[in-house]
Amino acid sequence: MDPYEIEFIGENRIVSIIPNFSYDKIYLICGEFGPFRAGLPMNVPLWLAVMLKQKQKCRLVPPDWMDLDVLENIKEEEKRSRFFTKMPNEHYMVEAKLILGAASEDIPRAAEIKTIIKDIWDIRMSKLRTSMDALMKSGGSYGRLDHLTMMEINSVKPLLPAAMDELYRIKMMTRKSTPATLNTSTFSQSGSSQNI
Amino acid sequence: MSTEDLDLSADEEEITAETVLKTLQSAWQNERLAPEILPHRNDMVECMLGQIQHMERNINKLPKTDLRACIHKMELNRIKYIICNYLKTRLNKIEKYCISIVNEERQRTESGTNYLTPSEFRYAQEYLVNMENHLKNTVLNHVPGRMQTFEHNKMAVYPNLQSHVFLKANSTVNGIVLEDMIGDQDEEIDLEEDSQHILQYKPIADLVKNGKVQLV
Repeated sequence: MDPYEIEFIGENRIVSIIPNFSYDKIYLICGEFGPFRAGLPMNVPLWLAVMLKQKQKCRLVPPDWMDLDVLENIKEEEKRSRFFTKMPNEHYMVEAKLILGAASEDIPRAAEIKTIIKDIWDIRMSKLRTSMDALMKSGGSYGRLDHLTMMEINSVKPLLPAAMDELYRIKMMTRKSTPATLNTSTFSQSGSSQNI
Repeated sequence: MSTEDLDLSADEEEITAETVLKTLQSAWQNERLAPEILPHRNDMVECMLGQIQHMERNINKLPKTDLRACIHKMELNRIKYIICNYLKTRLNKIEKYCISIVNEERQRTESGTNYLTPSEFRYAQEYLVNMENHLKNTVLNHVPGRMQTFEHNKMAVYPNLQSHVFLKANSTVNGIVLEDMIGDQDEEIDLEEDSQHILQYKPIADLVKNGKVQLV
């Protein structure tokens, strides 16, 4: 999938805004939101928050985790742990990008927050590269990837599954050259789809 | 299909538009990421299209500059995107794996477990006929007689079910058997709820179809 589609999915997350207008409840297909009361915080999907912000109809409330101390802890934890740590939410990168992009003036110390989120992303990506390398070298056809967010998974998408597919093909090839086995029929099937 | 339909109509009142949208979104995501074509969710698509029409009629009653109209329109556009992309993805697969899908679908229709909607099936068959005619007109009719037959089986393209996919388990599933190609040592793994994995599509194909796992 394209990164913008992951972003599209991430836009369904609920965030908090403070509207500067008052309105009744609105009944959307994805749920009901409101009533809007000027100055009172309320929850809406991220796409709606960004839209209202662009129309200058609201202020965004930074999510709990979008705080320097919290993020500093996450970063330290991520550095210390051999494994991936659990992120504050499944779409932290999308949320950060959209909120900081559309409403950086609503977020205290936005520039520093941006940097630290980028740091966390970099640490995780380098971990991901290392574990992919290890997985390929061990000739694995299976891996467990808890706590990786969708955007992170998607960033390795053409590469990792394709490499594992190739590895599988090579394994089948070596197997095929040894005396015929029951499994060769499945190979010719996958092979034919590759060729055309 | 018939029993599923009955179940659906029985508790139709209880299904909210929100649930339909969630189901549709996960069907879209699975369809995008699975190598083969998945059972259709036409019930959900039809239901959502009905909702959209209903909503659009209401929006038209609002003044154009009304903020609510803008919000509703934006939401409808998002939903339409999901539906269009979902249907297009299916059509792409139908075109790509046309012969194999038509063959398999014929068997599935007999047992009543069809994956395609009637219109998709018609599209697949017409596509196949058109492709065959085209190839005959451009090439086969101009080569010596005994080479003129159009061999379906040799032309068939199959989805690579051995390709690797990422998934997230919606509920715990134990005892997935992963075949080991070299050592003949099959490995068994458990998918705990909410855990994420990368593995071959084939052993988990049924779990995608019955909603136990979500492709990511």
